[in-house]
Amino acid sequence: MRRALLMVCAAVFFLGTAKTTGGAANGATNQAEVKIDNFAFVPAMLTVPAGTTVKWVNRDDIPHTVVSEDKGTFKSKALDTDDSFSYTFTQPGTYKYFCSIHPKMTGQIVVK
Amino acid sequence: MLARVRAACPKRRAKEEKRMRQRINDELIVDHNHDGINRRGFLKCMAWAGTGTLCVMQEGVLKSLALNRWEELQQPHGQSELSFAQISDSHMGFSKPANTDVVSTLKAAVDKINALPQAPEFLLHTGDISHLTRPEEFDTVEQILKSAKVKDVFYVPGEHDVTDGDGKEYLRRYGKNAQGGGWYSFDKKGVHFLGLVNVMNLKAGGLGSLGAEQLDWIRKDLEPLTASTPVIVFAHIPLWSVYPDWGWGTEDSAQALALLKRFGSVTVLNGHIHQTMQKVEGSVTFHTAASTAFPQPAPGKADSPGPMKVPAEQLRALLGITDVNFVRGQQALAVVDSNLA
Repeated sequence: MRRALLMVCAAVFFLGTAKTTGGAANGATNQAEVKIDNFAFVPAMLTVPAGTTVKWVNRDDIPHTVVSEDKGTFKSKALDTDDSFSYTFTQPGTYKYFCSIHPKMTGQIVVK
Repeated sequence: MLARVRAACPKRRAKEEKRMRQRINDELIVDHNHDGINRRGFLKCMAWAGTGTLCVMQEGVLKSLALNRWEELQQPHGQSELSFAQISDSHMGFSKPANTDVVSTLKAAVDKINALPQAPEFLLHTGDISHLTRPEEFDTVEQILKSAKVKDVFYVPGEHDVTDGDGKEYLRRYGKNAQGGGWYSFDKKGVHFLGLVNVMNLKAGGLGSLGAEQLDWIRKDLEPLTASTPVIVFAHIPLWSVYPDWGWGTEDSAQALALLKRFGSVTVLNGHIHQTMQKVEGSVTFHTAASTAFPQPAPGKADSPGPMKVPAEQLRALLGITDVNFVRGQQALAVVDSNLA
């Protein structure tokens, strides 16, 4: 009885950890964050597994946007301080983006 | 206190001040390039603009006048025929250090305009009218500018005015008599004005951009004009390379300037950098205006070109308006900055 209980607990534990280590199959997604501050995306290059939701948070005292270079894939509205924008990357590839208000600000998400 | 004071060694300044006082109203007559412009004299003159000196071209020769001798410009031979003012970067909606009340500072700018020695006929607003492209932000600026004693306000957009992607809100308000992306021209007393847009369709890693369609329009617009027509171009981002690392420049401005090369008097008025700056290149004078909202650091003097935080008592000295006067027949264009202190 106790061994069975132990087995069940172990199973639940393993299932639990499987859930938190990015099992896309059961609907859970990874989270990653890019900070916007001092007219820069930090980190400028971020590598994530497919299925990750990247959240950009503006910590600068001036508004910025997050726009994919092809201008179609993703495009945020103007983000004021503490506003955020999220996008879930399902397909592998390199996604270059920039701030359309201050185009010298560039970054990329590499999705594996 | 009118005008910005430029930093200089106190001893040298005292010496120069004495020399200038002795030479007030002197003509600077060394004309190296035979084009009526003494560059060294002009630059010296510009350096003194910060202490209330006017730099005026009369009969093709540069003269410096102390601001308290402004009346001399009003004499028959130097009557100022066209007077207008430029304001810029009101950033309505911004509320952070160093300015949590951009409404007050814009109102102070209007008071300054209404107190100018010669009443300006109209205003040019060189963009970043709003901070976040919000309708209520544009509304507030328009409301405040109604108390300026001017007949008209002409706008061009800044990048903060077109964050909705295609400039929909800006064009809805100000694009009625304009071409494509909001550019247009008009004439006042024989002076030709071009309002240009260099903040749309910006490319990643790039600077301001005019675009092929607008450049083609500029070419056609300038074609019928004689070379002696004074031309004034106003646009948000500087049309010369102030500091490319911070996006302070326009990628294809050289093409526009090539079209303006044949004109004897060209003045380019810009905003965007929230500080006054001047440059003379041949017959083209470039000038950027201060913001009415917040100052920004000098090129390279900070990590980034964000709002510069200064003690409250210093703020208004770093905000300002620009007064422009045109004297008929003498190609004089007096461009004078005043702060809001």
